[in-house]
Formats: sequence, structure tokens, C-alpha cells
Amino acid sequence: MAATRPLTVTDVYERFVKGKKVPESEWDYTIIPQNLTALKEKYHIDFGDEIVPEDPEVKDALFQAGLEMLVETGFYCQDLGRVMKVTEEEVWEGIKKTPKKLILGEGRDIARFYPRQGNSPVKPIIQGGPTGSPVSEDMFIKIMQSYAQEAVIDDLVDGVMNTVEGKPSKSGTPYEIRATMQELRMTKEARTRAGRPGLGV
Amino acid sequence: MDLVGLNMLAGWTVSGDTIMIEQMPIFGGYTGGVEETAISDVATTLASFALFSGNFHLDGPIHIRWGVTTAKETFQIAAHACAAVDHNTDLLLANQYYPMAGPMTEMCLLETAAQAINDTVSGRELLSGSAAAKGVVLDKFTGMEARIMGEAARCAAGQRVSDMNETIQKLLDIYQPHYVDAPAGVTFQECYDVTTVRPKKEYLEIYDKAVQTIRDCGLDIKR
Repeated sequence: MAATRPLTVTDVYERFVKGKKVPESEWDYTIIPQNLTALKEKYHIDFGDEIVPEDPEVKDALFQAGLEMLVETGFYCQDLGRVMKVTEEEVWEGIKKTPKKLILGEGRDIARFYPRQGNSPVKPIIQGGPTGSPVSEDMFIKIMQSYAQEAVIDDLVDGVMNTVEGKPSKSGTPYEIRATMQELRMTKEARTRAGRPGLGV
Repeated sequence: MDLVGLNMLAGWTVSGDTIMIEQMPIFGGYTGGVEETAISDVATTLASFALFSGNFHLDGPIHIRWGVTTAKETFQIAAHACAAVDHNTDLLLANQYYPMAGPMTEMCLLETAAQAINDTVSGRELLSGSAAAKGVVLDKFTGMEARIMGEAARCAAGQRVSDMNETIQKLLDIYQPHYVDAPAGVTFQECYDVTTVRPKKEYLEIYDKAVQTIRDCGLDIKR
């Protein structure tokens, strides 16, 4: 059973409501760039030409800079125009109480989603799918089946159905929900056709 | 974060759902350069777990000029941010794929493989994709791109980081100059037999060619 995080969703909402009012333009154009630049300089972060870092000190400096960015700058809610704050202790407690082992899917098709720790010889989970890209309604099952039938795939992520019953699945309309539910049904049909009915979706 | 996001989280948390928090930092946007964007990436990754009850984080550093995740700068951001969090926690980290080229092109497969190597070697636990042609064209993606993503990841797992950095750079040198004239590729309907849901022979031949190119660049990927 997963432990309750130190900050629940409603705690976060309450902090947003009571947070400092900041114009979105000031957040985007001033606060974020200035604070990031200051932290880059404070922690002497310079990637140079390196793609994947190997030096533990480089990794630790970037982690500390990111943690400080979250704690000192806070998080913005654009609907409320307010900034919430979180303490370093709360961040660490949130990390501690996050479940680290997940099971995706069911039955013989489960995938074990566990920490790898560096470049472990264990292959990452391969989640196949168009990951939010537009898919035509009449091709949806076939396209998802093309992913589900690949042996290297452990899990599925679906695309966004362009229409539902011929109508655009426009955000903020009832068609959005109808399309979402239909995507789920069709993805389940696709995995069944591929002979892997328990693949996670 | 907006209130729609918080409302969705309120439902998911009480339903006991597995929650993925997605965030795509934009290189060249408000966060600026690679290092600044990586700092922001680490901060928002941590927020996903500490503030928003996430079970895993889906990253996706994207290039403001090209709209892709497969550029050198976005690789640096994704790899450094992941390695930093991975080295200091045991959180579950994922990344998503938006190559420039479309399906049934060698460039698309090379882009996807390069990112898979980058993500695997830097310590990610889940790779999600791939949305070819930048994920913006109707039906321009297929299982074949996910096949190369998975096979590249399988072969890169456990390899020396320095060796894989060389392989990634060699692949970048091949495809990155072609962002300006990237092949558009074709739709699923054009590169698969839609009755049998099998890739056409032409696509299988292009796949084999891409595999050979990846092998030439230093990853012993299987056909």
C-alpha cells in the first residue's frame, strides 16, 4: 500500500490559494530565467560537449541546483496567478513516500517497473504508442495493434483520436471524453488482437 | 500547473490510479540554455513526486527551433537531468520521443535509436514512443519505430557510458544536419498492410539498413 505523501493535492491547492500573487509575465520573463541563471553560476554548471554525464560531482551539482530552484522559487499556478512554496524537508519526504516499484498490466503480460540505477544491464520498460499524436478513428485499432504485436514492447501509450463518430474530439467538449473512452476501448481491443490482452495501457 | 490538472489529480489519487506526471521543458524558451533548462527539468521532476503525487515522471525536453526531442541539446538536458535525479534518488523516470523525420525513413529510425541509447545509458526506467514526424501529422507513426527504440535500449543497457556517448555523437552527426531537409515519411496506411497489420517489405529493408548504420556507429544492435 502506498503511503500518503506529505503534501496531498488539496494541501497543494490550499498553498496555491494562499501563495504570493505574481503576474504570469513576471514569472515567465523575469523570475524563472533570473533564478536559473543564478543557480547555474552558483553551482558552476557547464555541460560543455558532454552528452551523458559520468562525473558524480556534475550530477550532484545539478541535483542541488534543481532542488534549490524548486524550494526557493516555488511552483506557479497560472489559473490563480499565485506561487506556492515547499520546503526541502517536504520534497525529501515526498520522494521517500513515493512507491518505487510498480506493476504495469495484468496476468502474463505484466511489466515490472523498478528502479534501474544508472545504466544497469536491465532494459528499460518499452512503452509503445504514438504518445499523444493525432490518430484517425478508422485506423486507431490497427495502429495500436502495430505496437502491441512488437515483442520488445512491455506497455502501451495511445494516441489522440482525431474524431469520434465523425466529430472532432475537441478539447473542452463532450466529444473529448467520448473520444478518450473510445481510445481506451480500442486500445484494449488492439492488445487483444495482438495476443497480449494484459498489456498495460 | 493549472486547476484542471489539480482536479484530475484529485480524482486519480482517490481512485488509486498509477499517476504519470508529464512535463516537457523547452530548450531556448523561458528557461534559456541547456544548463538552465536542465536545472528547471530537475526542479519540475522533483515537484512531480513531492507536490503532485506522481508515481513516475515523463520528461520530454524539446528544441524550440526544431520541435524535436532528438537534438544534441535536448539529449544533453534529458541525460543530465535524469542522471542527476537517478544518482540522488530511486524515483522512476521516463522520456518520450518526437523525432523530426517520418515513418519508413532511415533518419527517423536513427533519431529514435539515438534517443533510446541516451535515455537508457543515463538511467531512465521507461521509454515512451515514438511519435514520428514530430507527433503532429495524422497517422504518421507505427510499431516499427517503437521496435528500434526497444532494440536500441536493450543493447545499450549495461554498456559503458563513454562508449555510448561516442555512438550517440556519431548518430547525431549523421542525422542532425538533415533537420532542414528531413524526409517527411509516409503514413501507417502506406507502410503497413492494413489488413494483416504487417510492415511492408520496403520498410523492413529500410529498418535493416538503419540497424547496420547503428552497428557501424558502435552499438551491437540485433536485427
